Amino acid sequence: MNEMTEEDVLDRQLLEAAPYIDDNGFAARVVSRLPAVQRQRRSMRGIILVGITALGSAIAYTLSGGGRFVNEGIVRLSNFPIWLLFVFAFGSGLVVGACAVIVAIRKTPEVRNLRRLQS
Amino acid sequence: MALTDADLVARVLLDDDHHAFAELVRNHQSSVRGVLRQLTRTDVALADDLAQETFLRAYKNIRSFRGEARFSTWLYRIAYNAFRENARKRKELVGIDEEQLQAEQDTRTVDPALRHDLMHALSLLPLHERSAVLLCCQNGLSHDEAARVLDIPLGTVKTNVLRGREKLKRTLAAWGPN
Repeated sequence: MNEMTEEDVLDRQLLEAAPYIDDNGFAARVVSRLPAVQRQRRSMRGIILVGITALGSAIAYTLSGGGRFVNEGIVRLSNFPIWLLFVFAFGSGLVVGACAVIVAIRKTPEVRNLRRLQS
Repeated sequence: MALTDADLVARVLLDDDHHAFAELVRNHQSSVRGVLRQLTRTDVALADDLAQETFLRAYKNIRSFRGEARFSTWLYRIAYNAFRENARKRKELVGIDEEQLQAEQDTRTVDPALRHDLMHALSLLPLHERSAVLLCCQNGLSHDEAARVLDIPLGTVKTNVLRGREKLKRTLAAWGPN
């Protein structure tokens, strides 16, 4: 019993003995050594993606003879009954939405962890 | 309202926010530098270099922080690893045996202030006991958290804390007024 009290006293003394070390520019020195913000890399990634998409679209347009397949597809679709088009659009929306949600969750684990971090 | 560690980490993760990271550094610099100063036996310059390295590594690897432990625990682990790597490089991590401990005690200069006595007595402990006592008794980590930081079994941490405490008590008693 007495032993426990002694340990508690020692622990408290140790806790209180830890001196507070003033920052004195330490944080500023650390921040000055941080790598440059990665936002540039992100924007570069966006530019590359948009560029590749535009290039791919241009190639597809050229190879398909001026986008003739799009016209033909629309003509064919216009012959379908309206309810079928509605079902098709709704189904496509669901599939794309579900994929987007899955990718978003998988890509941002930090967002999922926010609640755990704050608890 | 002050932002929590979780808020600041989230800002760093989502926006690469250097200001948020600076706030994290300010919040934890004292404890991290304090632990490193004790580990390096009050070599302030080396301890501060290692502390800088700790925070830089924390920034680079912040995505691997999953929030399963406290942010401070995660930082201590990085700090301890940085210290170990540095010690290995300097071939200092050979463990301080009882003979060396005794030799250092013989050359001690006893400070009348309890704080100085405690910190000095702490610096005389062998590394494995010093680290365990520092983390558990001085920085409030649980044995389990300290085991994760030091990467050793839980039972070893408990033993090291017990032995470290015993040695501290003996050292302080020897220095006390007769």
